[in-house]
Amino acid sequence: MADWSYIPQVLVSGLGIGCVYGLIGIGFCVIYNASGIVNFAQGAFVMLGGMITHVLFARNGVPLPLAALVAVAAVAALGVAIERVVVRPLWNRKATMFVMILATLAAQIVVERLTLIAVGDQPKTLPVFTDRPPLMIGPVAIGYQLIWIVGGSLAIVAALAAFFGLTRTGKAMRACSINREAAALQGIPVSRMLALAFALSAALGAIAGILITPTQYTAFNVGVPFAISGFIAAIVGGFGRPFGAFLGGLLLGLLQALAIVGFGAGLKNVAALSVLLLFLFIRPSGILGAAK
Amino acid sequence: MTRLRLEGVTRRFGGLVAVDDVSFEVPADGVTAVIGPNGAGKTTLFNLISGFLPPSAGRILFEGKDITGRPPAQIAAGGLVRTFQLVKLFEDLSVLDNVKVGCHLQGKAGLFSALLRPASARREEQAVEARSRELLAFAGLAAMADEPASALPYGRQRMLELARAMAAGPRLILLDEPAAGLNTEESAALSRIIRRIAADGTSVLLIEHDMTLVMNTADRVVVVDFGRKIAQGTPGEVRADPAVIAAYLGTGKSSANEPATQEAPHG
Amino acid sequence: MTILPSTTSPDRRPFGLVGLLPWLFAAVVVGYAMVVGGYAATVVSFALIYAVFVTGLNLFMGFAAQVSFGQNAFAAIGGYLSAVLTASHGWPPLPAMLLGIAAAVLVAAIVGFPTLRLKGHYLAMGTLAIGLITYEITVEWQSVTQGYMGISGIPPIGIGPYEVTSDRGQLILLSLVVAACAFAAARIRRSRFGRALSAVAGSEEAATALGIEVARYKLLAFLLSAGFAALAGSLFVHVVGFVSPEVFGLHMVIVTFTMLYVGGIGTVAGPLVGALIVSLLPETFRAFKDYQDLAYGAVLIVLLIYAPRGLASLFSPRGRS
Repeated sequence: MADWSYIPQVLVSGLGIGCVYGLIGIGFCVIYNASGIVNFAQGAFVMLGGMITHVLFARNGVPLPLAALVAVAAVAALGVAIERVVVRPLWNRKATMFVMILATLAAQIVVERLTLIAVGDQPKTLPVFTDRPPLMIGPVAIGYQLIWIVGGSLAIVAALAAFFGLTRTGKAMRACSINREAAALQGIPVSRMLALAFALSAALGAIAGILITPTQYTAFNVGVPFAISGFIAAIVGGFGRPFGAFLGGLLLGLLQALAIVGFGAGLKNVAALSVLLLFLFIRPSGILGAAK
Repeated sequence: MTRLRLEGVTRRFGGLVAVDDVSFEVPADGVTAVIGPNGAGKTTLFNLISGFLPPSAGRILFEGKDITGRPPAQIAAGGLVRTFQLVKLFEDLSVLDNVKVGCHLQGKAGLFSALLRPASARREEQAVEARSRELLAFAGLAAMADEPASALPYGRQRMLELARAMAAGPRLILLDEPAAGLNTEESAALSRIIRRIAADGTSVLLIEHDMTLVMNTADRVVVVDFGRKIAQGTPGEVRADPAVIAAYLGTGKSSANEPATQEAPHG
Repeated sequence: MTILPSTTSPDRRPFGLVGLLPWLFAAVVVGYAMVVGGYAATVVSFALIYAVFVTGLNLFMGFAAQVSFGQNAFAAIGGYLSAVLTASHGWPPLPAMLLGIAAAVLVAAIVGFPTLRLKGHYLAMGTLAIGLITYEITVEWQSVTQGYMGISGIPPIGIGPYEVTSDRGQLILLSLVVAACAFAAARIRRSRFGRALSAVAGSEEAATALGIEVARYKLLAFLLSAGFAALAGSLFVHVVGFVSPEVFGLHMVIVTFTMLYVGGIGTVAGPLVGALIVSLLPETFRAFKDYQDLAYGAVLIVLLIYAPRGLASLFSPRGRS
């Protein structure tokens, strides 16, 4: 029998994981809007964010903030590499969407297996960023890592909003998402935007991975489940709407947390996937309606 | 006898009325043409008749039966088959196989016949083969039967699409700008083929921009403009109709052949 | 009556002998395994089981040009039903296999109906989700599946006292099954049913205009594909005698897609050729065992970019036709 007195506590932790799903979901949207491609290698970025930070910090003694920064930059570079090596040739040959999905999924597997060979299959973790006892609000304990996750995510969402709304590059990317041909005619370098979208999306994934790793762990194979949760977030929010995706991530995180209380931790993935199917069958345009 | 009857057919897209209260009849014999300037609503009209779009109002009767809102595959199975303005061939299939697909409605063989191949299925397959080759010969494509459809030059792709539609055994065939992109010689050959199809007992309803083709081929013409029917009659009558002249020529174009050279967007 | 002058057909590539090459290759590989026996026979047996699965995948993805990342779900249903019914409930293998296939087709019908209405990445994700949900269920439903521990002691295929236990016996049986599957695919290809699938692949609108009920044919191809997948899953558990969730996991999706693309999507011989090559290559480089999935992923990417129609297309006269 489930113990419902945990609910507020469970919801709080659901909020944290939901932010992470939201960031990953935004990553999907950024690439999708720039190219119409759904990048199934998104999970690799999340996994690598935590993993590279761990390797730099725990094995090489690099201070945590610097390790995290280097990890984000490295993963962003990997995003660009995947765009150049895998996506670009297929894009030029006008491959079907399905081929593109399959190729990025294969890229995910390649990254996963390389990681397995490099660091082994043991789960790795990171220390919490602020090592203090949790804040108590009534019976609810709020860990400092959760504050980092929620605060960091909100800061990133705000930064993205500013980037898309205020900067020339951000506006150009939005123009590409509305109409690529027209954007190209306006002199916007569409191909560079594609590379930039992959870099941005990879960096988002890496940040999500770094934020969540201290509360869980990272291993070579955590990418796919994270990617699927991020994708669900993007669908729930209305595919192609970055901020809808963040909202979708929060909803999914809360729902999953409740599912764990109700049905046990084992079925949390089944619950998330069922939400996905439900949305696909009944309302594929998401809560807010899909972009475009 | 009336093959097709439209009663007040209307289609709105949001605030735009693409087809506005159109009524006309297509008799069983001969060739009927629908003409009109670009954007007049001709292709929308075809999509409504063939079931690819549901009408917002009105009724469509095929051989007296109400087919309004039926699924398109069912309408085709009932004997009303269409072609497309932009040729939609099965490019990976051979020319012959394209026509064989067209014979789908002529057969019954399902999955188990495919696997077990009983005598009935073999006979059906032979009939399909014979009929397809006959139609290819009719369309002048016999020698190209084994080519991939994508390898045909454009004019012949149009012929193939026509042959494929005829393979379905329609009693009414809708041709959406069959002469688009054809040269004068090909267009003349097409006109003869269409006359022949009509003479063999299949009613023809076509949308066309190429006025020469319409005047040489059609027995009756329906003129639409801004989604409304503005005239109807023989080619001669329509050509003399002031409303038609205003709609067609009022734009300053001096030749009735002019629209043939334009690339038509969906009407 | 011919109105347009006909042009003559250009010379065609001679087809007969070249078209036989893939089958010859398969026969040589299976024959070699038969003679050598032992480990080689085991590897080729697995390859043949994969060939059954990929032949089914090809009906849905190659012939009808649809997308499913979740056919492993149906292999799992077939495999687990066979395993549970025989190992835990003492059923004979054959009825268990048949029930497994029937159940998989039934589930495919139930999930296929809403799923196949989806398009593009929605369809891809929807089917992927079906595979993942099935995987999670095999892990979590421990009272029936015994979770990660898996089910062992599954009897080999046989009727009454006659069981196929030897390497060579299994190889012969599996070769016959694969031959039957390839034969079925070839017959489907050249039938009214197969042409309707090609039409759905070529242009759904044009197919509809010719009276082909597109949704119905998609669903039928999906059910067929699920049936083949369940058969493969069932064969696997009876040949190996053991099943665990990992057998039908995401690994299977990537491996089978690699096979499909190596062999040539949409061809009749492609699935068999692809299954053999992809199964044998890692074995020739035993030292690289850990790199298998890495290699599959990398090969798949290279193929998708440089040879999207696979190897068997080199031997067939018209690519996918």
